[in-house]
Amino acid sequence: MMRTFRGGLLIGLAVAVLVGALAVIYEFYDTRTLKRTVRRGEVLCGVNKGLPGFSIPDDKGNWTGFDVDFCRAVAAAIFDDPSKARFVPLDASERFKELQSRKVDILSRNSTWSMSRELDYDLYFPAVAYYDGEGFMVPRSRNKETSLDLADSKVCVQAGTTTLLNLADYFRANNMKYELVKFDKLEDVVKAYDTGKCDTLTADVSQLYALRLNMSKPGDHMILPDMISKEPLAPVVRQRDDDWMMIVKWTLYAMINAEELGVTSENIDEALKSKKPEVMRLVGTEGSYGEQLGLTKDWAVRIIRRVGNYGEMYERNIGEKSQLKIPRGMNQLWNVGGVQYAPPMR
Amino acid sequence: MTDFRRLTGAFVAAIGLILSAPQAFAQQPDRGDEPGLVADDSYELDPEWQKQVVYYRTTEAPGTIIISTTERHLYLVQPGGRAIRYGIGVGRDGFQWQGLVNITNKKEWPDWTPPSEMIQRQPYLPRFMAGGPGNPLGARAMYLGTTVYRIHGTNRPDTIGTKVSSGCFRLVNNDVADLYDRVPVGTKVVIRQKPEL
Repeated sequence: MMRTFRGGLLIGLAVAVLVGALAVIYEFYDTRTLKRTVRRGEVLCGVNKGLPGFSIPDDKGNWTGFDVDFCRAVAAAIFDDPSKARFVPLDASERFKELQSRKVDILSRNSTWSMSRELDYDLYFPAVAYYDGEGFMVPRSRNKETSLDLADSKVCVQAGTTTLLNLADYFRANNMKYELVKFDKLEDVVKAYDTGKCDTLTADVSQLYALRLNMSKPGDHMILPDMISKEPLAPVVRQRDDDWMMIVKWTLYAMINAEELGVTSENIDEALKSKKPEVMRLVGTEGSYGEQLGLTKDWAVRIIRRVGNYGEMYERNIGEKSQLKIPRGMNQLWNVGGVQYAPPMR
Repeated sequence: MTDFRRLTGAFVAAIGLILSAPQAFAQQPDRGDEPGLVADDSYELDPEWQKQVVYYRTTEAPGTIIISTTERHLYLVQPGGRAIRYGIGVGRDGFQWQGLVNITNKKEWPDWTPPSEMIQRQPYLPRFMAGGPGNPLGARAMYLGTTVYRIHGTNRPDTIGTKVSSGCFRLVNNDVADLYDRVPVGTKVVIRQKPEL
C-alpha cells in the first residue's frame, strides 16, 4: 500500500519535471519573433552605425533617424512605448547573417530590397520604407535641370561600386559621353568634386543630400530630380515567421495610411472620435485588426501617437524640417505626386 | 529714391498699424498684408521654399498647376515625371479652399482693390492701391476662375511658407514672374487641401 503510493508519487514527479523542462525548452527555443520580443520586453533593431538622417547615435548614445524611428514604431505597436527598441549597430557586410542568426529581430538599416538578397539569405523585405536611387549633384550655377543635360561631363564617382556600373549603363543608353574621375575612398570623391575637379558627383540620392552638408558651401549645390537606378530601402525580417512579418509590414502601412487620411500625432485624439469608416478602422474604433495581428485594438494609435505618421517621420529625419532637406519626391504619397502606396486597411 | 520709398512705406505701415490697433486685440493681427512696405529683394528663402525641379508623378498634363495648401508648394507639371516646385504662402486656417479652376487673366504689377469681405475683416486696408513695389500683390497676378483669389507676388517674402493670406497664393516676386512667363491664360489649376478626419 505504502509502496504503491510512493511509486505513484515518483512517477507523478518525474512527469511534472519532464513537462516543466519541455515547457522551458519550448519557451526558450520558440522561433516566433513576436513571442521572443514580448518575453524579452524589447525589440532588437539592427541599424547603421552612423548615417545622418537614417540612423546615428549622439555622444550620449541616443539614436535618431528614419530607420531608427521605424523600429521605434514597431516597439510602440507592441509595447505602447517607443523606448522599448534597442539598437544594435551592424556592418553592411554582416547585416543579413546577423539577422539570420537571430542577433536582431528586425533589420532597419538602409538596405536595398533585391531578389537575390531574399533568396540567398532566406529573408523577407515586407514593404518599401524609402525609394532611393542613384542621382547627381551639380553646382547650382550650372543651371542643369535634368541628368540628360550632363553629356560630356566629368563625373566624380567611387570606384568598385554598383554606382559606377549604373552610371556607365545610363550614359550609354542615352548616347552621352562622359569622363570618369574615380577614387577608392568616398572622402576623396567628395573632395575632388568640392574643389571643382568634376562637373557632377554621383551616388545614391539620400547619400548626396548627406554629402552636400559637408561641402564648403552647401547652398551652392543641388541634386537633380532624376534617379537612374532603383534602390528601394526596406526593413528586413526572417522568412517563415509570418506573424512577425505581418506586424512589421502593417506598422509601415499604418503610418502611410495615417498620412493619407490626415491622421497625425497631433490630431490623434480627434481621430479617435472620427466617424469616417477608414479612419475608424485605422484607429480601431471599428474592426479588430489589432487583435488579429496579435496586438491590441489601438496598435496603430500607439504608433501614430508615439512616433507619428509616415510624413511626420520623413520630415523630422530627412525632409524639409531636418538638416538633410530631401524633397519628398518619389516618397510622396501616390495621390499627391509620389509612389508611396499602402494597401487599404479593410 | 529707395530711401524715400522706404520712408513712405514705413509711414503708410505706421498709419496702418495705428488704425488697426483696436482690431489687433479683437482678432489675430494680419501680418500678411503690409501695404506700402517695399519688398526686400535680398531676402533669402529657406531651401524648402526655393524654386526647384522635383520628381512629380501625376496624371495631369504638363503645363498644369497643382497647388498643395498643406505643403505650401505650387507645382508646375513638366514632361517626364517632373515638376517645377515653388514655395508659396497660403490662406490662414478657415481661409483655405480646394477646387479646379483656370487662369482667366494675367496682370503685371497689378493694382489692388481689396474685396469688400476683406475690408470688413481688416478695415484699415486701403480701398485701392496702384501697382508697384509696395503693393501686397507684388510683381504679377494670375486670376483664378471667377473667384476673388489670385496667384500673386508679394512685398513680404518672409511670409512664404506660412498661412497668412485671405485665400490667395503668394510667391516671391522673382518666382511669380518666372511662373507668369511659363503659363498662359487658360492654364488648369488644381488646388488641393489635406483630407478631413
